[in-house]
Amino acid sequence: MSEFSVIGKPIAMIDAAGKTTGAGKYTDDFKLPGMLIGKILHSPYPHALIKSIDTSRAKALEGVVAVVTGEDAPNTYGILPVGHDETALAVGKVRYVGDHVACVAAVSEEIAERALELIDVEYEPLPAYFDPELSMKTEGHLIHENRPNNIEKDYHHVFGDPEKGFAEADYIAEARYIAQEVTHAAMEPHSTLANFELDPYTGTLGRLTVISSTQVPYYLQHKLSLVLEMPMSQIRVIKPLVGGGFGGKSEIIPLEIIAAVTARAARAPVKITYTREEVFWAHRGRPRTIIDLKTGVKKDGRVTSVACKVIQDGGAYCSYGVVTILYSGALIGALYDIPHIRYDGYRVLTNKPACGAMRGHGTVNVRFAFESQMDEIAAKLNLNPASVRRINLLKPPTITVNGLRVLSYGLPECIDQVITRSGWDERRGKLPKGRGLGMACSHYVSGAANSIIRSDMPHSTVNIKIDRDGGVVVYTGASEIGQGSDTMTAQVVAEVLGCDLSRVRVIAADTDLTPIDLGSYSSRVTFMAGNAALRAAQDVKKNIVSAAAKRMDCAPEDVIMRGDRVYKSGTTGGGRDPGAAEILEKVDAPRGRVDGQILRGSVLQTRKDQGPKEHMSFEEAVVSAIDFHGALTGTGSYAPPVEARGGRHKGGGVGPSPAYSYSAQVAEVSVDEETGQISVHKIWAAHDCGRALNPVAVEGQVIGSVWMGLGQALQEEMVWKDGLLMNPGMLEYRSPSSEESPEIDCVIVESIDPEGPFGAKEAGEGSLAATIPAISNAIYDAVGIRLRESPFTPERVLSALRAKKGLKRIEMTEHVDPTAPTTFREHGGSLWFKGKGPMRHPLDPARQPAGTTTGGER
Amino acid sequence: MKKELISLRVNRRTHELAVEPSKLLLDVLRQDLDLTGSKRGCDDSSCGACTVQLNGVPMLSCTMLAASCEGQEITTVEGLADHGGLAALQKAYGDFGGAQCGYCTPGFMMTVKALLASNPDPTDEEIREALSSNLCRCTGYLQMFQAIRAALAAEQKGMKHELVGAK
Amino acid sequence: MSLPTFQLLRPRTLEEAVAFMAKHEGELKVVAGGTDLLPSMKQKLFTPGFVLDLRGISELRGIRDVAGNGAEIGALTTLAEVEHSPMIRRDYAVLHDAVRTVASPVLRNMGTLGGNVCLDTRCLWYNQSLAWRKSCGFCLKKDGNLCHVAPGGKFCWAAFSGDTAPALLCLGAELEIAGSSGLRRIPLSEFYVNDGIVRLHLGKNEIVTRIHLPASSAGWRGSYQKLRIRGSIDYPLAGVAVAMKMNSGRVEDARVAITAVNPAPHLLNDADAHLIGLAPTEEIAERIGELAARTAKPLTTSVLTPEYRREMVKVYARRAVMAAAN
Repeated sequence: MSEFSVIGKPIAMIDAAGKTTGAGKYTDDFKLPGMLIGKILHSPYPHALIKSIDTSRAKALEGVVAVVTGEDAPNTYGILPVGHDETALAVGKVRYVGDHVACVAAVSEEIAERALELIDVEYEPLPAYFDPELSMKTEGHLIHENRPNNIEKDYHHVFGDPEKGFAEADYIAEARYIAQEVTHAAMEPHSTLANFELDPYTGTLGRLTVISSTQVPYYLQHKLSLVLEMPMSQIRVIKPLVGGGFGGKSEIIPLEIIAAVTARAARAPVKITYTREEVFWAHRGRPRTIIDLKTGVKKDGRVTSVACKVIQDGGAYCSYGVVTILYSGALIGALYDIPHIRYDGYRVLTNKPACGAMRGHGTVNVRFAFESQMDEIAAKLNLNPASVRRINLLKPPTITVNGLRVLSYGLPECIDQVITRSGWDERRGKLPKGRGLGMACSHYVSGAANSIIRSDMPHSTVNIKIDRDGGVVVYTGASEIGQGSDTMTAQVVAEVLGCDLSRVRVIAADTDLTPIDLGSYSSRVTFMAGNAALRAAQDVKKNIVSAAAKRMDCAPEDVIMRGDRVYKSGTTGGGRDPGAAEILEKVDAPRGRVDGQILRGSVLQTRKDQGPKEHMSFEEAVVSAIDFHGALTGTGSYAPPVEARGGRHKGGGVGPSPAYSYSAQVAEVSVDEETGQISVHKIWAAHDCGRALNPVAVEGQVIGSVWMGLGQALQEEMVWKDGLLMNPGMLEYRSPSSEESPEIDCVIVESIDPEGPFGAKEAGEGSLAATIPAISNAIYDAVGIRLRESPFTPERVLSALRAKKGLKRIEMTEHVDPTAPTTFREHGGSLWFKGKGPMRHPLDPARQPAGTTTGGER
Repeated sequence: MKKELISLRVNRRTHELAVEPSKLLLDVLRQDLDLTGSKRGCDDSSCGACTVQLNGVPMLSCTMLAASCEGQEITTVEGLADHGGLAALQKAYGDFGGAQCGYCTPGFMMTVKALLASNPDPTDEEIREALSSNLCRCTGYLQMFQAIRAALAAEQKGMKHELVGAK
Repeated sequence: MSLPTFQLLRPRTLEEAVAFMAKHEGELKVVAGGTDLLPSMKQKLFTPGFVLDLRGISELRGIRDVAGNGAEIGALTTLAEVEHSPMIRRDYAVLHDAVRTVASPVLRNMGTLGGNVCLDTRCLWYNQSLAWRKSCGFCLKKDGNLCHVAPGGKFCWAAFSGDTAPALLCLGAELEIAGSSGLRRIPLSEFYVNDGIVRLHLGKNEIVTRIHLPASSAGWRGSYQKLRIRGSIDYPLAGVAVAMKMNSGRVEDARVAITAVNPAPHLLNDADAHLIGLAPTEEIAERIGELAARTAKPLTTSVLTPEYRREMVKVYARRAVMAAAN
């Protein structure tokens, strides 16, 4: 018999039926009486002053109820306290094509769209910046006045003595790597429904209820309170089902504030759902990144020193930028044992949509560079790439040179697993021409040890209430976004209480009902909300146990709760006691019947007088506990331990985590040398998630991460031309279809973390980063080219192949060479305005009235 | 634009509706009939989240005018489960991780159901092709193969339906 | 995104349809499967006063084997029906090969062969929302007077991006077109105009009603090779169709056509001269590839670079020749 009853079992998500039947509600599925549709006017300019906005024509359109602009809610906000640089709608200035300028609330989408065309905005274009390396050199026309040189933030970290480390090296590898911008492209476009109730006393606008597609309902509540100048108690944020986040909903997205501001002006419920194009403009994905990486190694591959300079093209607002650039540096550590690290990180502002957090936040692009360079080093020193990784393993428990505490560390076993399963040692180098194997490793935090807003407040709190009929209601602020957080919570609680999973109902992410939780990001939910749920369950269990001990006339330590039963230690064990089964059957019979619920209580009451018992059903025990203690509730919370909170250096708060997940991967690819097309045949991915609370969910997360990494590796790319996004749609932003999605052999490695709930760590992000370098290393193994620019699109691969063979080059834009990239590739075609900024093309919309649309061309 | 009276047959019921001629089937389903299972994921007819069946053939409801669908038998995801039970496919998608965030799932239900109706014993390649009409951003499609295989096995065993919530 | 408002016309017969077209000349768009027009209307590329829905005209549906005289495919026949037609698969292999690469299975359930033949030309600077196009000052093809792809030019380079057209060109297909003055029939090769705006030789009041496949090309071997990044859903970034009449290992007749790299699909003029009488080899196929690449004039209408697409026309043409031969 297994140690556990509920966890560790492949269990369907508790909300699965709602998803497969269409009954589950996402934000856009809600409607309220009198609800209006909001539509947003976006900036056509990358950088311009707003000279005037005239909304009178739009307001006059039949069916339009309200039009709001930046002046209606000028308070600034931002997800980070250091980055309050956004307003709901532009105030005085726009900073990227797609920046939010005005919002119309109308009785239909079609009327709202028409009204947008009637808003007259006069702009004065400013010079705009699209290349971060150029942007960093600028002195004038800053994107934000308080950010000199358009640098949002730069960090210069030195750990150990990097120069000494390089001096000790036998070989030093050095190269520039570039990763193009990618985005979450969650299937559900962002949506928000905002509604003000009337104050019953004054008739003025009262409480605000916001239903929104968010990963962070409590942050949303907080920022709404800042912008609307309302107390948080007057704002209720409800997170219904969310159709995928991946970080794209992990901060306040403009429409969430705009919907509330517009609802206030319209005095009616307003729903805004982004078009897919608007989702791309709102973005907050993984920034274009330049990584200059230098690694020193001994002959045996042992790393002596790492120097890394990272420049991120952050877009026009801070968003999570400061955290991203810190993660990029901090998580160079905690995977391998690196004695000396130098890190220079620059988060740069450009006139593009803001980048933010995306799955594997901050680590992915640097990991691509690092693991590629490891492979280059292995090739150079004629070492097995696997042994280069093995020789650099950490020896936990340990604290890395940059202050990260590592306790559980399943990486060695992850490497062993993928080496064995992929046949690495036997097959590598013996595959047919054009086919190769590559390996890489990665890791990720199980939640940040320090919250965004520095405080000692718990990061997660969970409350439990148990009803008289044995129904367990769990209140958690953790945000289910498809990753299975509700199911995890239910499992943890059911395991602790020894009750059937079907008893547990999870009420999640409703700021009126559930206790505060920071949200679903940084892979924090299982570890932190899981621990809080565990503690809450233990808290309520105490009362059940003490009452049961009385009923059974034994010591509380001797009470066992398991299998939906409560019994004395040593009496029935886990066995099938016929008496218990009989009672269970009787008690179970009326489940779900309304009349049964009250009745059952009385039945059980009478049984109370039958003398001490050997065992009870869960319900019986619950009734006893309620009779004995009153309402049966429990609470638990989690704050990361002080020892896990990292070093004291500036920026040292980002990177530390109570636990890290580990992943090792091998990719098998083949390269069509005539077309440059890559086929990924299979990826073996071993992921150390501590303990797999639900193996199906863990596999789903790991496979999903690997698959998303594959997308970034092969085909996903936001293509820019002077700040204009050329592919703002699912048709042209090519998220992989089933056709090119490979087989993924997922192996779960369980290192059992000492602090995780039942030993669990994160599973949802850590595997993404390894996939990209595993594929690039496999490409090298197959055809001998080093791709230092992602994605490895066929033209980049062919270009590199041509260069290797000394054949005529495929001209990429501006001589960008995917094997030795220097700058970001821009889309071809004409500059859509001459020069950068004010000297715009004569056909600029500001210079001529918007084209009148006529019928088809036939 | 003036509304027109149309008659739509959805999930075996006939609805008389007044809709603008320019209204998409997806919007009529979601807004006028409150059948919000069909989702809008893109605006360029690429993602498949809005897939419904017209006379058993999967099609994108975001790329059809509601008025053009008169006289056709429209089935949405809400019409898949009957007698309050889950179709085997719906249960299997839950059991095997075929659905994570669930936003694309109704679309997949409609395409895969159509595949299984016309081909009760599909090869992996045939499944892969059928899945290629719909985009999913969570699963990498992999666990869907398992789910579909499990659903087929369940249907062959005659366990066509299982009660919601029953264990 | 909502559709602009319009009146919907739903004719039951071809005559009715033609009459509607004459009545609302210039303010009407024709819709069949809707997979091309409706997304474009959401982007406000078209804001017609009237939309003529052809779906009700059942006579334009279906594939007919015209005894000894080839095949006739109604313009409203869905791409899926063409794909699953045993007759097409057997007699017109290149069309079967091409049609199954169009978009995705579900989109093929909707899209029609007539619609695919008449597909609007595509360009990254054109197939964008109104707000997007406004931000770059519009383009020649819609609302502007500048080409972003070839600045200074007055020619629209938007690429014809249909998959079936090159296959049909290889088969020597003809179109039946209905208009106010009755039916006319033209070879498909005379239907296209190499201009991203003009596109088709199709009168304002005309609709394509049937596609005829001649008996003379029945049984030709064929192959269609499509360049795309994603294995499904995507439009072609380049495409090459090859059809060859083979007799004991030698080519008796052959046609090669390319798509998605010019404003019109092109039949390569002298491809047959390189093939007839010969057994295709890699060298011969290579020559066809070079010929195809010379005809291809891709510009930056897509996310891939023009140079790469031209290269691929060469590789794919070679592969298509070899695939068709073997």
